[in-house]
Amino acid sequence: MDELGPAVAVKGLCKEYGTIKAVQDLDLSIPSGCIYGLIGPNGSGKTTTIKMLMGLVRPTRGTAEMLGHVIPIKGLGLKVSYMPQETALYADLTVSENVQFFSELYGLGPELMRSREEEVLKVVGLSERKDDLVGHLSGGMQHRASLACAMVNDPQLMFLDEPTVGVDPELRAGFWDHFNMLKKEGRTVVLTTHYMDEACRCDVVGMMHKGRLIAEGAPGELLQETGQSNLEDAFLAFIRRCGR
Amino acid sequence: MNVRRTLAITKKVLRSLRHDRRTAGFLVLMPVFMIAIFGFTFGGEVKDVEVYIVNLDQGVGNSSLSDLIIAQLQEDETLDIVEIVTSTSNVSDPASYGREKVEDGDAWACIIFPENFTSDIMAYVVTLGGETSSIDLMLDGSNTNIVQAVTASVQGAVSDALTEDIGFVPPIQVQGEMVYGDGMSFIDTFAPGVISLAVMMVTFMLSIISFIHERTTGTLARLLATPVTEGEIVLGYATAFGLVGLVQSIVVLATALLLFDIQVEGSLLLVLLIIFLLGVGMQGLGFLLSANAKNEFQAIQFIPLILFPSILLSGVFWPIQAVPALLRPVSYFLPLTYAIDAARSTMVRGWGLGEVWLDVLILAVFAMAMLALSVLLMRKR
Repeated sequence: MDELGPAVAVKGLCKEYGTIKAVQDLDLSIPSGCIYGLIGPNGSGKTTTIKMLMGLVRPTRGTAEMLGHVIPIKGLGLKVSYMPQETALYADLTVSENVQFFSELYGLGPELMRSREEEVLKVVGLSERKDDLVGHLSGGMQHRASLACAMVNDPQLMFLDEPTVGVDPELRAGFWDHFNMLKKEGRTVVLTTHYMDEACRCDVVGMMHKGRLIAEGAPGELLQETGQSNLEDAFLAFIRRCGR
Repeated sequence: MNVRRTLAITKKVLRSLRHDRRTAGFLVLMPVFMIAIFGFTFGGEVKDVEVYIVNLDQGVGNSSLSDLIIAQLQEDETLDIVEIVTSTSNVSDPASYGREKVEDGDAWACIIFPENFTSDIMAYVVTLGGETSSIDLMLDGSNTNIVQAVTASVQGAVSDALTEDIGFVPPIQVQGEMVYGDGMSFIDTFAPGVISLAVMMVTFMLSIISFIHERTTGTLARLLATPVTEGEIVLGYATAFGLVGLVQSIVVLATALLLFDIQVEGSLLLVLLIIFLLGVGMQGLGFLLSANAKNEFQAIQFIPLILFPSILLSGVFWPIQAVPALLRPVSYFLPLTYAIDAARSTMVRGWGLGEVWLDVLILAVFAMAMLALSVLLMRKR
């Protein structure tokens, strides 16, 4: 899994907003070709970490590399994609127009754009609704459209912030099938989630609490280490162990 | 109707204001700003209109009535007399010299006293009949307010000077000749101002709302996570809003031509270039201001701050010369001032790029500066 070197390597990453320490001394090494889950409560620093890696927030300290390049580096956008927590789409454009817009930003040619659009809309189950305005879709559908836009450039590395919020269980299962397929193709998926059952599907889980990474490992290893039967209890056990 | 529930709503609104001190401050300071700017502007009269005087009057003996009238004109704050040319000045054809000054835009008017001005009036006074004298005005009619102000000043000076000297006012003709804008009505002066104002308002408001929407919905962050650069985003928006401004100005121009038969003496392409530059610059300004707002409500507070001074001080309805001296420096900071000046000169005077280049250059520098600052601001995240 790690033959290609880490997809993401982070060393001593910090982000401070005045006296608030959003992320503290974060060290991460995310292997290529895996599904990595960042879990933790709201405000634990998951989104800030992803935003720093995407170059959207300037770190206070620390360094990070993605796909072997020190970030921020603009050209990496071709191989990396980001799906933010909020829908972050143009409500006054159709699903198709949103997907095409992001395809153009990634520099896809007309032919590839058409085939990729068809492909990603099929994955998120929105082929039938592609001509609907995003603003007219339900919250869950908007989220699916957002994921479609994040996948359109066929990235090597994807950062998905809460990708399955508001998505029904059947489609959620479909998403995971797709993530696993991406993994088989050697791509890396880094996602944040609140669903512990989803965290169990990740190859590696990083548990964040108050801006720090308090535990990292395969779900089975984390359960074994804490002697718990589920990741939620394991997470609480790690918090207790840290004395916070 | 439940009073308690109603009061709960009222309390909630006031609490929100307490948390948003900037908005609370805006609610108090905006009316102060408005009354001050409206009060000062409407309290103003046309002042400092540049004029040339050509005095060819030979007088009668040591007496020259034109000198008395010129003395009155020199005390009139409406006029700024740039130069008085007489028959003894080192100018071969003083009347043509004065006309050239108006044609070149160095003066709004040239006031010409003919050779027999005093002697004709004296002859009339002695005989109490026959023809009297006249004063010729060569006027830049591209601004009807200024034409009216200059004419009124000359008539007032004649009346005051002659009443004081000879006790009554003989019927002196003040003959106006339009160097520019002959047969022009108020709508002709007004149209270039309205077109520029309309484009400015739309591009500025669209920009400020669009960018705050991009930021608050997260789409801007998402864009920045793609290969698109800050410069491409800013330039993409600027082109879109510049085009919106162009289409808008074409619609306004066509409407004004069809409904009011306005005069367009110069190049329409030049007018469109002026409007495009204004649109691009105002889009950039909108972006810069939206970056200093946390939400839509804070963003729209910038709109009156820019719009009111622009409407009142940039020459849309009345000339800059009618703006009180205290506020006139503000006029020269407003991009709309230069757009209106250039568009009006092109449409009414028939001037080309050779004459309005300075206005166009200022608008181009403003547009480029706004775009560059927008890019820098976006990179500063």
